[in-house]
Amino acid sequence: MNRLRHLALSLLVLSLAACATAPKKDLALERVRSQLEALKADQVLAGYASLALGEAERALRAAEQAVGDDMYRFHLVYMADRRIQIARAMAQREQLEQTIDALTASRNTMQVRASQLEVERARKEAEQARMLFAASAEEAERARREKEQALEQGAESARSAEMALEEAAQARRLAESRASEAELARREAELASQQVDSLKRQLENLQLRQTESGVVVTLGDVLFESGQVELRESAHASLVEVVDLLQSEPDKLIRIEGHTDSVGAAEINLSLSEQRAESVRAALVGLGVDTSRVTVIGLGEDFPIDSNDTAGGRARNRRVDVILLDDV
Amino acid sequence: MRTVFTLILALLLLSCATARPGPEAFTSAEQAIMAAERAGAEELAPTELRFAREKLGEARRGIEQGKYEIALYLVEESEINSELAIEQSRAAQSRRRVNELQRENELLREQLEAEYGESFK
Repeated sequence: MNRLRHLALSLLVLSLAACATAPKKDLALERVRSQLEALKADQVLAGYASLALGEAERALRAAEQAVGDDMYRFHLVYMADRRIQIARAMAQREQLEQTIDALTASRNTMQVRASQLEVERARKEAEQARMLFAASAEEAERARREKEQALEQGAESARSAEMALEEAAQARRLAESRASEAELARREAELASQQVDSLKRQLENLQLRQTESGVVVTLGDVLFESGQVELRESAHASLVEVVDLLQSEPDKLIRIEGHTDSVGAAEINLSLSEQRAESVRAALVGLGVDTSRVTVIGLGEDFPIDSNDTAGGRARNRRVDVILLDDV
Repeated sequence: MRTVFTLILALLLLSCATARPGPEAFTSAEQAIMAAERAGAEELAPTELRFAREKLGEARRGIEQGKYEIALYLVEESEINSELAIEQSRAAQSRRRVNELQRENELLREQLEAEYGESFK
């Protein structure tokens, strides 16, 4: 009986020893651990891929605490080593992605700066054009004055030539014809300055575009509070410019179209677009536009000019178009 | 007495032995290799992809030789090499993108500076 118990005991010990090996100093394990420490202390990569780093640490701990044969422990050390390499690769990628974001941002900054400079350049060109027209107006004015002088001289010679009535009458006729010439020059000068004004407006107002039906002025959604149909107080200032443009062509008819983005029910959008277009009509008439020239239509969300998938696109789609119709 | 020894022997063997793994033991590691190939590892992380394939081959031989436990370790080691190959391929792709963007930005900067005559730093 006693012998049997001994036997059972040694059986137990043996079966335990069969798989276990006493843990010993392991050079491979040391190397893997120092790699993990190096990754954690890396100047560039520290702070990235924390999840993968956690997994690597767990794998390393499992290798350190492993009880079993050499083969098993070697396996765990190998796994820990690979986990660390994975964490390193992930950290590198995250760091690179951040660099990509920064590079993209700097590209955008450059492009924004370039478009600002482009606008500045256009403004300078407009200014030059304005000065050119002003110069020609001045020339016309000078011509007019010269002719006035001639007229006065003509009148004087008429008065002094009392002895020859025939001659005086002739001189008067000449003077009259010169006066009408001067009037013509003045009108030409006026026309030139009007052209300057309209050119300036077109360059300043970036929302202006020419379509088949006529010149379209797009009023952005900043004119309205979200969901509201009444114009903002501040909208009137920009409408004054629009009125100037409309009044520069008093014979043309005007169509006001309301548009929305595709957010919300189509019916509500339709009614919203119509009411907004109506608000713009009322404001334009209030600023002096002849009401008989104006027709109003709400078109809802069906005529986008940009994608409805981005916030910027939707903002562009929410708009009121004022169209100065070309003659048919 | 003899029966007892036979029993001991049987127990000793059993305590370390593992049953022969079926082909399903390789599925996950095989899929990992394919995923790594799709991630471009053939070009971007060839060493790790080779390790993954070699380990899987060794694992198959291990099964044939009855070394089931080692074979299962090798399967795991193959799979983790595929995982590493995928991560390294992705990192390499990001690095390419960084280089590309740097080149493009430099070019754009030069163009804009020539066009507008001012610094775009």
